[in-house]
Amino acid sequence: MPGFQGAQGRDHTGREAGLNVNRRIRHEVADGGGSSERHIGLLPPRHGESSNSSAAEDRAATWVGLGIAEISAVVGGLIRQGSPLPVVLTTLCELFDATVKGYSSSVLLLDCTGARVRSAVGSGLPVSYMKQLEGKRVSWIETPFGATINAKTPVIVLDPVSDTLREGQEAAPAAAPGLRLHEVSPILSLTGEPLGIFAVYQRESNPDVTCCHSALIPQFTHVASAAIERMRSDEAFKRSAALLERTQQLSSTCCFSWRVETDEISWSKGLCQLFEIDPANVPVTLELIGARIHSEDRPSFHEMIERAKSGVSDFEFEHRLRLPDNAVKYLRVVAHGTRDQEGQLEYIGAVQDVTHRRHTEEALAKLRAELARAARVTSLGVLTAAIAHEVNQPLAGIVTNASTCRRMLAADPPDVEGARETARRTIRDAERASQIVKRLRALFCKKGATSEPLDLNEATREVVALSLSELERNKVIVRTELAGELPPVQGDRVQLQQVILNLFLNASDAMSGIDDRSRQLVIRTERDGGNRVRLSVRDTGVGFEPQGVDRLFDAFYTTKSGGMGIGLSVSRCIIESHKGRLWATPNEGPGATFSFSIPCGPQDVTAALTGARSLGAIGTSAVTNAEGRHVRSL
Amino acid sequence: MMAKRPLVSVVDDDESVRESLPDLLRELGYSVRAFSSAEEFLASDCVGETRCLILDIAMPSMTGPDLQQELTARGQEIPIVFITAQADETVRPRSLEQGAVECLFKPFSDTALFEALNAAFRVS
Repeated sequence: MPGFQGAQGRDHTGREAGLNVNRRIRHEVADGGGSSERHIGLLPPRHGESSNSSAAEDRAATWVGLGIAEISAVVGGLIRQGSPLPVVLTTLCELFDATVKGYSSSVLLLDCTGARVRSAVGSGLPVSYMKQLEGKRVSWIETPFGATINAKTPVIVLDPVSDTLREGQEAAPAAAPGLRLHEVSPILSLTGEPLGIFAVYQRESNPDVTCCHSALIPQFTHVASAAIERMRSDEAFKRSAALLERTQQLSSTCCFSWRVETDEISWSKGLCQLFEIDPANVPVTLELIGARIHSEDRPSFHEMIERAKSGVSDFEFEHRLRLPDNAVKYLRVVAHGTRDQEGQLEYIGAVQDVTHRRHTEEALAKLRAELARAARVTSLGVLTAAIAHEVNQPLAGIVTNASTCRRMLAADPPDVEGARETARRTIRDAERASQIVKRLRALFCKKGATSEPLDLNEATREVVALSLSELERNKVIVRTELAGELPPVQGDRVQLQQVILNLFLNASDAMSGIDDRSRQLVIRTERDGGNRVRLSVRDTGVGFEPQGVDRLFDAFYTTKSGGMGIGLSVSRCIIESHKGRLWATPNEGPGATFSFSIPCGPQDVTAALTGARSLGAIGTSAVTNAEGRHVRSL
Repeated sequence: MMAKRPLVSVVDDDESVRESLPDLLRELGYSVRAFSSAEEFLASDCVGETRCLILDIAMPSMTGPDLQQELTARGQEIPIVFITAQADETVRPRSLEQGAVECLFKPFSDTALFEALNAAFRVS
């Protein structure tokens, strides 16, 4: 390459000559007539690039005569203090400038790809010059900057004019007036990746162009490399720590590690907050953790700890915390066990706060139970009569058969064969009665109905939400056509929802065998005349024979193999107790439509509804399919 | 000999009643026919011959009282003993009011049935 040459006698990272160079620098500094005064220790942190030359000079004056070890210490101190990288590197340049008279230095920091100059620092150079360098590509291959990165070796500039500017290239800016680019060295990572460029300029006022300082340059390059790498890894660590913390926040997850042999436990900040433990005041120990565990969960917690100690590779555990203020939290713990090279067992785990989820589940379970209870309660009135009817039939058979039997045996001669037959029938009828009682026993329950103003649309939407999964499983397409403005009705929310749910499930059942057309369920609400509200559920199922319409609502009438035939009769009972009417009509096309119509509530109810609505929304949100099935089996 | 026995018809949708009651009635000395619905009874050739009708109240489609009305409309005055599994105390007085000889709640004893039949035959 014309105009410049590789500096001789140095390895490309400038690191290996360590001690030897160090000795030479000391020697050189001494030769340069530097003061014997040494300043070792931390410098006050400085921010930004200095443009105040007198301040820089004052500082530089205190640095004259420092050896490279002290220089490393100064830079290391700055890093430990958390000074930003530009400040650290500027200080390094100032240290160089103070050490090597007649020269100014700068560090060009490359971006993470190594292709562009991210920033340039150096207090002995004009800020405008540094700004020009920032953002430049390093690929000015013909310039000393490009050459040094490309060759990964220091480059001594012989002809600065021709070396720094080439026709037709993205020009490296010419050095500032009075400064001449003297030597550039690549700042390389341990793995040889370019991190930056250490550039040394000769002050033109300094006629001494000997290269005796070259020995010092690799040392500074080395310090710069160490500083940049350290800062980059710090940055990467902070970024990954921040990412981890943010992710933990987002997923409500905390993490921990536990070395079983030594019982060393390290906890994330979030976990300390979760357990309300201040790790600054008390060390985190198993005893401390155990004390926070809800007393009912403590035995299983200890059991899990024992299992974990015995070397089970993974564990998963859910338990409650009882915090000092008596608040209860639900935690889910998942941990993975590993053994290090010495065979020591360590668990690394994640803890998730599932309190909110558990509360929701509990609320759900409560609701489910409530709905199930309501289902039973409402059917009670109808049930009593229905049970009596159903049980009395076989009882009649029993009594009649037994009477006949007695008479047959009392005859002369006794009709033993006839008596045997009637006895057989007696037993059969008794078994039938017992089956009926068994089937019905599950349905007995407490009674109680409430009356409140309610929005039928909202009640319907809730039932749709809670039965949707069941309906979807039966491949039913659900369409809702709810009237825009529906006056509130007065009634028992759960009972009415029971009816709606029952109509949904009946419709779904009626379509269960339909495969030649889509299974559509249309729920519609609308005003019915002046002061009534109507809800209809239309299906595309098997429908019913027009002459069978009256039987539909009879207790124990069913066309379903699994049904007892109570659902519609209970539904009609509920609707009638709301002063309403429940009826069925065959569709013009396939299927049937079941509708009920109930009167609107009194006028003043409308105002009260606003408050009731929000309460109601919390009250009913979902129910499981299991309960859905239960309800249907009515 | 059999022809001399008065005919009692039983109409009930419940099979165990249809099985057991005829045997008892035969033991009591009656001739018996059983039908599972009012329609079946009306379609049979027994309507004119029947001296007493033992009739279930709650049946699908045509109920006991429906059949009672239909018979009245046809001018067939057959004494009726209603039987019902519905334990509703209001049913009996209503039935008697509407011309039934008796109303028995299932399960009923053979004595109660016998007395009801005697009453029915007194009427006829």
